[in-house]
Amino acid sequence: MPASYEEIQEKVITELSKLTSPDAGLTEDSELVTELGLDSFKVLDLLMDIEDEFDISMPVNLLADVHTVRDLATRIHTVVNTPS
Amino acid sequence: MNREATTTDNTVAQNLAEFSSLSEALDYAAAGVTGCNFYDAKGKLSVVLPYGELQRQARVAAGRLLSLDLKRGDHIALVADTHPDFIVLFFACQYIGLVPFAMPIPLNLGSHAIYVQQLKGLLTSGKAKVAIAHKEFISFLEEAAVDNDDLEWLGTPEQLSDITPSERPLEPSRPEEPAYLQFTSGSTRSPQGVVITGKAVMSNLQGITRTGLKVHEGDRCASWLPFYHDMGLVGFVLGPVASQLSVDYQRTRDFAIRPLQWLRLISRNRCTIAFSPPFGYELCARRIRSADLQQLDLSCWRIAGIGAEMLRSSTFKAFAATMAETGFSSNAFLPCYGLAEASLAATFSELDRGLDVMAVDALTMAERGIAVRVQSDNRKVNEIVNCGRALPDHEIMIVDNEGGLLPDLRLGRVLVKGPSLMHGYLDDQESTNRVMLENGWLDTGDLGYLFEQNLYLTGRRKDIIIVNGRNIRAQDLEEIAEGMDGIRMGESSAFDIETGDGGQIVVLVVECRLTESTARQSLVKHLQRKVYEGFGIYCYVDLVEPHTLPRTSSGKLSRVAARKGFTDRVDLAQAIISQAETA
Repeated sequence: MPASYEEIQEKVITELSKLTSPDAGLTEDSELVTELGLDSFKVLDLLMDIEDEFDISMPVNLLADVHTVRDLATRIHTVVNTPS
Repeated sequence: MNREATTTDNTVAQNLAEFSSLSEALDYAAAGVTGCNFYDAKGKLSVVLPYGELQRQARVAAGRLLSLDLKRGDHIALVADTHPDFIVLFFACQYIGLVPFAMPIPLNLGSHAIYVQQLKGLLTSGKAKVAIAHKEFISFLEEAAVDNDDLEWLGTPEQLSDITPSERPLEPSRPEEPAYLQFTSGSTRSPQGVVITGKAVMSNLQGITRTGLKVHEGDRCASWLPFYHDMGLVGFVLGPVASQLSVDYQRTRDFAIRPLQWLRLISRNRCTIAFSPPFGYELCARRIRSADLQQLDLSCWRIAGIGAEMLRSSTFKAFAATMAETGFSSNAFLPCYGLAEASLAATFSELDRGLDVMAVDALTMAERGIAVRVQSDNRKVNEIVNCGRALPDHEIMIVDNEGGLLPDLRLGRVLVKGPSLMHGYLDDQESTNRVMLENGWLDTGDLGYLFEQNLYLTGRRKDIIIVNGRNIRAQDLEEIAEGMDGIRMGESSAFDIETGDGGQIVVLVVECRLTESTARQSLVKHLQRKVYEGFGIYCYVDLVEPHTLPRTSSGKLSRVAARKGFTDRVDLAQAIISQAETA
C-alpha cells in the first residue's frame, strides 16, 4: 500500500499524540526520546500501531538512526514504498 | 527449502549431551530429522534448517573460513541477529578450532553512534580476526572496524560464500580448547569476554538437559531470546542441538512488539520448553488482552523457565492468572540461576512444582543478613524465590565478606564450583583472579542464602542494575557520563532505587562544574538521551557540586554511599514524578 510522506507523517503524529501529553507540541522536529520522553514500552506501542496501520515490519537497523518524528516518518516512507 | 517445520519426533535415539564437543553433538543430531525453524513477525514460517542441513552448511562454511588462513584459536566476531546464518557460522568455527563470539544488534531508537562504539569495543577486546554481519548490519560493522588493524576479513555471509572452500581436512575444536567467548556487558570501553571450553559447555548442557529439564522424547523448544545472550545461545541454540530437539525461533524485536506471537508459536507447535527472563512474562501479562487468548492451548507448555535475574512472585501470579483459560499450569514455572561465567546454568528448582517462595522478615534480612521465615502477620516481608539446587557435580556455597562459610539462612556471597565454569576472562588475569578463588570456587558476586541445599537469591551483583530484563552494569552508565565534555572519570555514579510499589528508578549522579542553568538543563537532557540510546531506559540525572561524590578510603567511588546520599538529599517522590512526567 503506497502512501505519501505527508500521510505517513500525519499518521505518526496521530499515533504519538495518543502516547504523549496533549501539550507536548508535536512537530516534525520533536525528539521522540528526549523531548517526548517515550519509554521503551511506548516505543513498542508506537511501532505496533505503525506496523499494523501500514502492514509493514520496521527493520531494526533503520531505527538506529531515528531521533525525531521526521526521521521516523522518512524511514516508514522508505519501507512502505519498497516492494517486499 | 522445506515448506514445513521440522518435526518434534525424531528418527534417531535421543542422546542427552553425551558428547565430547559441540561439533560431535551436531554430527549426531544431523543423522535425525529435527532442526531449527525461523518465524517472521507475523508468525509465518520463513526458514527451516534441519540439523542435517545445518551440519552440511557449517562444514562448507568451515572450508571457506579455512581459506582465510587464520590460526587455530583465532576469534571470529558474529553480529548475532536471529537468523540461520549465525548458527551455521557458529558451528563452522567448531569444525576448525576457531573461536566465535556473538555481538548484539541495535534495538534502541537512535542508537547508531553508541552501537558502533559498542561493536568497536567488542572487536578490539575480542581480538577478532574476522567479523561477519548481515547486510542490514554490515555498515555499522564497517564503521566499527575503521582503524582496526587486527581484522583480516570483514563481510557478509553472502560474501563469505564467494570464497572457494579450502581442501584441507577439518580439525574440530577439542574439548579442552575454547569453544566460544561470551561477552557479558555492553560497555564500550572494556567489555569482558568469558572464555568457555567445549568441555565446560558440554558439561553444563548435560546438567541442563538431563537434570534441570529432564528432556525426553516429545519435547520441543520455542525461543525469542537473543543469540548474543547466554540463555539464548547456550540454552536455545546449543541445548536443542545437543539433545536433538526441534526449536522454533522468533526475533527478539518481534516478541517485544507482539508477545502474543510467542504464545501462539508454543500453542500451535505444541512446544514444551520455553524460557524468559521475568521481563518477558511481564510483557505478556501487560500487552496481551484476554480476547487474544481464545485460540490458545498452552497445556503443552511443561517448562516455563525463568532465569537471569531476581524474581518477583507477583509477576508470575499475574501471568498465570491471565493465562489460566489457556490451560497453562503455574506448576510449569521453573526458576533457575546461572551466569555466563558458569556457561549458563548453576541451579535448577524442581520440575512440576512451580514457584516456591519463602516469606522472610524484611527488617531482619536488611539489618542482620538473616532470613527469618515469617507467617502472615503485620510485619513487612520479602518474598524470596527458591532457585533450586546445584547441578550434579556442581556445588554452591555462601560466604561472608572475609570468605568464611555461612550456615543455612545466612545471607552472603554466592560461590559456585563445578565443571561448567569458565576458563577465565579473555586476556584479563586481574579480573579472572578476582573471581576465580582457591580450590576451584567462582565468586559470582551475587547475594543469597541456602536452605536445605536450595539457593535463594536476594540480590545480584551490587554494580548491576536490572531494568526490563536487561542487566546493565553501573559502570557502563557512568562511562556515558564520563564521555561528556567536562566530566572526568570517577565523577559520576549510577545505581537504582526501588520505589516501593515494585517499580524502580535508575539514577545517575554527576559532578558538574557548569553553573549556568540552561547549560545544566541541556547536559541533563543530553545524558538522558545518551543513556536511552545505549540502554533503552529512562534515567534520573542528578547534578552535584564537584568533589562531593562519596569515596571509599582507597579513593574509589562508593555507589552504596552515593545511593544513600541521593535518597537523603533528593525527595524520592519528586524523582518519580519527574520520571512519570517525561515518560
